[in-house]
Amino acid sequence: MRLEHEFSVPAPPDVVWAAVIDPERVAPCMPGASLTSVDGSQFSGGVKVKLGPVTLTYKGSGEFLETDEQARRVVIKASGKDARGNGTAAATVTVTLAPEGEGTKGTVVTDLTVTGKPAQFGRGMIVEVSGKLLNTFANCLATKLDGSQSADEPAAEPAAAEAKPAAAEDEEPAPPAQPKPTRRRTSAKAAGNAVTEPTTDGATARQPEPEPAGSPRLQLVGEQESAPKAPAKQVNVSSEAEPIDLMEYAGASVAKRVVPAVLGVLAVVFVVLRLRRRRRG
Amino acid sequence: MIPAAFDYVAPSTVEDAVRALAEAGEDAKVLAGGQSLLPVLRMRLAGPTVIVDLGRIAELRGVREDGDSLVIGAMTTHYDVQRDPLVTEHAALLAVTTNQVADPQVRHRGTFGGSLAHADPAGDLPAPALALDARFVIAGPNGRRTVTAADFFVDFFTTALAADEILVEVQVPKYTGWGAHYEKFNRVAQAWSIVAVAAAVRVEGGTFAEARVGLTNMAATPVRATAVEQALVGQPATAESVRAAAAHAAEGTHPTSDVNSDADFRRHLATVLTSRAVLAAAG
Amino acid sequence: MTTTAEHEIGKARLRKEDARLITGRTRWTDNLTVPGMLHMAILRSPVAHATITRVDTSAARTSPGVLAVYAGADLADEQGSLPCAWPITPDMKAPPAPSLAVDRVNFAGEAVAVVIARTAYEAADAVNAIDVDYEDLPVVLDMRAALADGADLVHPDLGTNKSATWVFDSAAAGTGGDVEQAIADSEIVVRRTFRQQRLVPAFMEPRSILVDPTGPQLTMWSATQIPHILRLMLAMTLGVPEHKVRVIAPDVGGGFGGKLQVTPEEVITFLVARRLDRPVKYTESRSESVQAAHHGRDQIQELTLSARKDGTVTGLKVELLADMGAYLRLVTPGVPILGAFMFNAIYKFPAYHFACTNVFTNKTPTDAYRGAGRPEATFAIERMMDELAAELGVDPMEVRRRNWIRHEEFPFTTVCGLVYDSGNYEAATDKAMELFDYAGLRAEQARRREANDPVQLGLGISTFTEMCGLAPSRVLGSLSYGAGGWEHAAIRMLPTGKVEVVTGSSAHGQGHDTAWSQVVADQLGVPFEDIEIIHGDTMSSPKGMDTYGSRSLTVGAIAVVKAAGKVIDKAMPIAAHLLECSPDDLEFADGKFTVRGTESATSIQDIALAVFAAHDLPDGVEPSLDSEATYDPDNFSFPHGTHLCATEVDTETGAVRIRSYICVDDVGVVVNPLIVEGQVHGGLAQGIAQALFEEAIHDDAGTLTTATFADYLLPSAADLPSFTTDRTETPSTTNPLGVKGVGEAGTIASTPAVVNAVVDAIRHLGVNDVEMPCTPMRVWRAINGRSGDGTDNSTSAAGGGLGSISGGAQ
Repeated sequence: MRLEHEFSVPAPPDVVWAAVIDPERVAPCMPGASLTSVDGSQFSGGVKVKLGPVTLTYKGSGEFLETDEQARRVVIKASGKDARGNGTAAATVTVTLAPEGEGTKGTVVTDLTVTGKPAQFGRGMIVEVSGKLLNTFANCLATKLDGSQSADEPAAEPAAAEAKPAAAEDEEPAPPAQPKPTRRRTSAKAAGNAVTEPTTDGATARQPEPEPAGSPRLQLVGEQESAPKAPAKQVNVSSEAEPIDLMEYAGASVAKRVVPAVLGVLAVVFVVLRLRRRRRG
Repeated sequence: MIPAAFDYVAPSTVEDAVRALAEAGEDAKVLAGGQSLLPVLRMRLAGPTVIVDLGRIAELRGVREDGDSLVIGAMTTHYDVQRDPLVTEHAALLAVTTNQVADPQVRHRGTFGGSLAHADPAGDLPAPALALDARFVIAGPNGRRTVTAADFFVDFFTTALAADEILVEVQVPKYTGWGAHYEKFNRVAQAWSIVAVAAAVRVEGGTFAEARVGLTNMAATPVRATAVEQALVGQPATAESVRAAAAHAAEGTHPTSDVNSDADFRRHLATVLTSRAVLAAAG
Repeated sequence: MTTTAEHEIGKARLRKEDARLITGRTRWTDNLTVPGMLHMAILRSPVAHATITRVDTSAARTSPGVLAVYAGADLADEQGSLPCAWPITPDMKAPPAPSLAVDRVNFAGEAVAVVIARTAYEAADAVNAIDVDYEDLPVVLDMRAALADGADLVHPDLGTNKSATWVFDSAAAGTGGDVEQAIADSEIVVRRTFRQQRLVPAFMEPRSILVDPTGPQLTMWSATQIPHILRLMLAMTLGVPEHKVRVIAPDVGGGFGGKLQVTPEEVITFLVARRLDRPVKYTESRSESVQAAHHGRDQIQELTLSARKDGTVTGLKVELLADMGAYLRLVTPGVPILGAFMFNAIYKFPAYHFACTNVFTNKTPTDAYRGAGRPEATFAIERMMDELAAELGVDPMEVRRRNWIRHEEFPFTTVCGLVYDSGNYEAATDKAMELFDYAGLRAEQARRREANDPVQLGLGISTFTEMCGLAPSRVLGSLSYGAGGWEHAAIRMLPTGKVEVVTGSSAHGQGHDTAWSQVVADQLGVPFEDIEIIHGDTMSSPKGMDTYGSRSLTVGAIAVVKAAGKVIDKAMPIAAHLLECSPDDLEFADGKFTVRGTESATSIQDIALAVFAAHDLPDGVEPSLDSEATYDPDNFSFPHGTHLCATEVDTETGAVRIRSYICVDDVGVVVNPLIVEGQVHGGLAQGIAQALFEEAIHDDAGTLTTATFADYLLPSAADLPSFTTDRTETPSTTNPLGVKGVGEAGTIASTPAVVNAVVDAIRHLGVNDVEMPCTPMRVWRAINGRSGDGTDNSTSAAGGGLGSISGGAQ
């Protein structure tokens, strides 16, 4: 499966480049994901993928095959496997950055291979999952590159519908921030609005609002590599955090441009953290 | 096809169920009719630590009138929805849609609320729920809240329900006297919709007075074909005008590509099926 | 004293086995429990091609209830290589086929490790705790690409992805002319490429195995079609003494060829039970079954047909690529070869050339699936006859009539050397055309075309034949098959006059108990109810070649007839002795030995009792009527029929609806019309499913994306029309009952009838083919001038491409 993205960031290429090549810098933005080790160009980590009733817990490793600052191109190969033996995942991601006016234009090409049970469905679940996960990261990183949020505070709401991954065949450009993103943005606050219409038992407003339970998100798998079977009591960086309403922080116009940018970064981080497989021989 | 071990709780009240979910934490899962959850459990694509079975909560079953609305308990089976006289009279679109959910076995086990909370983009019930502006009553640790259909369906298999919340019931405004049709397109009878269209219309003197059209499997969530609705209102209920309006059906949709159809063909189907659904609804 | 006044053969008896089967009082293998039994679960490779670099079973070994965990290396010394009994050419390349992968996996779903635990739950839990590292290898999926120079190799040691090429040429064989010459001389040449998509046999009962090593013999219960072959193969493959192995096929819930196999799971269960010295059971899940049990079809067919302008065919050239998958299973290489003799079908081709290249890919191995080679051939030739008709502008039935073997021309030696013993294509066709209202439907079709109706009508024809009764041992030998094709039967006359019939044909749902009882009732003149059929256990029915290839009635039941004849032969001198006459004066009918011209008679039952007592037998006569026979026919049988299908094609959505389906089959003498009807209905459903619904689809990593019945679309009654079935009856002359076999007819005949109907509905819109399965998207694209996925992409999706998945990768 080949996923292609293009993005624009209002930040200069230097800034974006630094983020792209530094997993440690962007890792906290991936809700709940962890880097268990970074060693030169190699790294390892884990991530829990949740989609409706389906949960997958991938652990993996990867490496920067190529970091060409001159060409502003980075190639990362990563692979991982599900802790319950449900299958493997592997990806080769190529990110290329180029200046675009004041900002940066980037292209991301991801060759993603997911095997085993998650891939055994004819309805393209993996494409959907991958796209949704990228959206989640994008939202956080957009905020982060904008500098208006502390690095320790990850976002949780998959509101950044603008960051729609465009599969190569699907020529549709990422849709602008309407109509659906508008609705989704609303939905980030929807629960809050909804409680202003209390039911008969007079429920009170809740702060913060809950994250939608089934939304695709990533959680930390356990710091030790040797603890693959302890998904229940992991450090969950995301679920306790207050959800961020992007628009309140960044303003719609900024977010609209930033978010797709981050997608590129995310494509990297996503595979970096999510897909890992021990390479031998 | 043997699920991993889990704890099982079968509370008899909504409050107990919510409490059980809160105690169970992140990896709990709610069991309604089990028609989607059980296959996933058996394939070990899910490994919840606790299953909270809503099957013994009487409050969650049944259909009743509440002023201008019908209230459908989340645990009412498809079969009970489809044959309920109130639903047939006031929300015919739900009756005709429910009648096409999967097969008779599934309709006897699967539930109205379970299907909506599962939020499968190819599931049949979200589109009519959206088209009819259904409202979702959700119970959580802090009491109950109500969410519109537009806000309930958030994403692919994702709703406004938090991990510690359950869907209690669905309020559906009455559409008494409306014509309704669900045009489902799939390859074999028990398969998911490739695309389906839920249409409810009110025709006055041969003209569309109101129209509501929902699309199944044309995006990560159900989609309201608002352009079609707007194009219909005020037009004569003829094949020509319906076809012209239905040409807008794919606007604003983001269909997926899978083994049964690519996105382009889905967009094409949406227009054809919308035309048929609206015409059938108009009678 | 009861005897059968009326003949049993031809009676529509309800199946005697059904009451037990449909009320759940069955003995499926998974229902069996023996003392001390353990459960096995299998870890399967998620990847299609990889080196196994590490298998860590330590966590699984300490998982609750686990007795043992084995990876391939643990069984490598004793597992041998799974047998392939059909080396089609002397130079055929066959890779070693381990049951449990040792250092490499070659398809997604291949067994990598096993856990044996006290319960199935504990075994399943522990399987998840096994950690395997894979080093990816390039995945080979497309047959044409696999044969290209420099292609990645499934089995690098073989140096090629080509297993073998098998050729038949009528000029070389002396059975016909030279095809190239025929094509060069012809007035019309039609060339087409068809794709036989990969199918999943989808039997109802998943495969299940129970091995008990604690008795005097090592006993295996298996949901198999072939207990006898399995026993032999276990002995030969694993080096265990044959007499120390007993195989039982208890009630088996369908097979369709999918259980004509010696499976990795059987070998593994056998080995671990023997090693642990405890009974071990393994039952697969449905998704394991869909992924790992062998698949069917999967061919690319290139055909060239030459003809004269008057429609007379002059030559046929067939070039096949057949996907073996990753390994050669029991008869994998021979499946496409079985079709070699059927492409010429019922037509008088003067020249014929067939070449099939078998190709390895990183997919589940293929093997027999209902029809095995013959549906592929029938599809291709029946599609070609429609294409020829379109080329000539004549009615497709007319083209067939011009070319088929007329009934007075039988026996007829075909261009590939087979002798068709009997048939009457005219009679079956006339009956079918009348039932169908062919002329009326053609008129309606014309009206709809004229009116540019959004729903167009198409008529599809299939005038098929098949070769049944896979037996003649010398023929099988000439095709390099590794065994004979005879069948065995034994009849035991019990003292009370009841009869036990032992048959080597091991039924798995076909109704042998009923049909065999009817045959024996007529042969011996004993009541239907007095007969018990014993099969499926190498201890009680020690000899057999089992059930597949529509061979049971034409071979197995004939062995029963021969054994019954021997019983009567043995009874005759005893009857004469008791009636104090010469055997020459006796005649036997309806269970009675009668002295010609007198009332003096005795029954077969009386003689059975007399033999048991043995007080008063003629000198030198052994006190037994029990007899056995092994029958090896001289020829195949050739059922045929005419199937007509009317489809409505919704040109706006591409949806296909079958409006009517008429079939007139000639399966020779019918033993039980109900059973024949059932076989035809089920066969039609499967054949129609290939035309419209089913396809095993792999993504570009080699993962089967249709691994559950949510995505692998089996039709239900709601998706099929109400069939109109009828018959003509031209007895086979190759066996004493005149029977031909019916197990595969519906499947073989129906697929081309449906696709011809789909194409016929939209041919006027410029369409001359729709790839199977004819999904709405493919049909709609064909109408709208945009081809779906090409035939060159064997991993394409049912809908015409995986969209963002495969589309994006190209």
